[in-house]
Amino acid sequence: MKKILFALAFAFFALTGFQSFAQEPELTPERKHDIDSLALEKVRDLSKYVKIVGSKDTPWSEANRVIDRAEELFAPDAEIGVSSLAKTKIEYYKVRQYLERLMRLNYDRVEIDWYKIQYVSDLQRQPDGTYVGVITVFQTFKGYDAEGRLVYQDTTKKDVTVYVKRKEAQIGGRLIGFWDVMLGDMRVKETALK
Amino acid sequence: MKNVIKNILVIAMVALVTLVGATSCKSSGKMSKKEYKARVEQAKQDLAAIIDGTTAWSCDEQQARLDQIKKIDFTKKNPEVVEMIDRAQAAIDACKAEQARLAEERRLAEERRLRELEEMNKPKTGVEDYLLQIANAKDVNVANRAINEALKLFSSADTPVLILINNYGDYDKPTTAEKYLNYIKDQKKVGVKVNNVKMENGKISELELKVVK
Repeated sequence: MKKILFALAFAFFALTGFQSFAQEPELTPERKHDIDSLALEKVRDLSKYVKIVGSKDTPWSEANRVIDRAEELFAPDAEIGVSSLAKTKIEYYKVRQYLERLMRLNYDRVEIDWYKIQYVSDLQRQPDGTYVGVITVFQTFKGYDAEGRLVYQDTTKKDVTVYVKRKEAQIGGRLIGFWDVMLGDMRVKETALK
Repeated sequence: MKNVIKNILVIAMVALVTLVGATSCKSSGKMSKKEYKARVEQAKQDLAAIIDGTTAWSCDEQQARLDQIKKIDFTKKNPEVVEMIDRAQAAIDACKAEQARLAEERRLAEERRLRELEEMNKPKTGVEDYLLQIANAKDVNVANRAINEALKLFSSADTPVLILINNYGDYDKPTTAEKYLNYIKDQKKVGVKVNNVKMENGKISELELKVVK
């Protein structure tokens, strides 16, 4: 009797396991490529937001609106690392706190550019169906004083973890399947003068 | 008189022989050791500059110089120059390929610029026109005015906007008309085309865009 029950339980789990696998088949390379691009694009979007928030020419209301949009790109409680050539310790701030500090930086003019935005670790499917990868970015920061003199500059390499999950939403009476891209912590890997 | 004619003939013959001798020496292509050594040095110098990419010559000028160098036979005395010729040819081929790529990029950029200019000059009729206008606005105030005008096309600022990323039914996270128009303002580019528009009472009740690849 025990053996029969065990066999039934095994068959049940094997079947349900198979069904959940069957519901979420592996993506074809073309679809996977599209999802990779989507996640990469979110980091590129963030680079524009950081530039807008950091710019002293951006009106206050616009900067605040952009901070809201940038915050939406991240998972709740995600943090961004801040490094400086003057300090060895890397400080981590919540996304909103980081962006608000960026907006209030004590320079007359700030230039922030992100480049070499690329995957260091491709999106990999996790057992729960979430795709997780790591994207690296290089950021150059330049701060100028009122006389237009460059008073601080550095280049920082940062890694950000990306989480991409298939979700559904009811829009206008129909079910839409979409890919929700969430950015995780942004960790400082290296900081150099140039 | 005979002697005079004889002397003239002798002088003329000597002159002819000298002249023919001089020209035949030039056309034979033979050069002195000193001249050959100087040519080898010059060739090495020019080839190194082509290989290292430090020359200011254009690809065509580099090719012309290389063709000139190739005319001299270096195989016996200077095989290292032959090897440099091969490397220089590879560098010139790469230079030409890069030149062609840049020319193609410039052509595409010009095509895109003209297309966008044409789009901008068209009378505003729909969402795509507004998207371009917002992306190309010269400042935030101009962009905001265009956003406010564009929003009049929608049922409300919260009208759903869907972005299809491929032909397999994969969408980006749904957003709203107001957020999407502001997104275009921030990113300063339009990477989508209108795929489908649902209307209700003459206003857009749902907008579906598709990513242009």
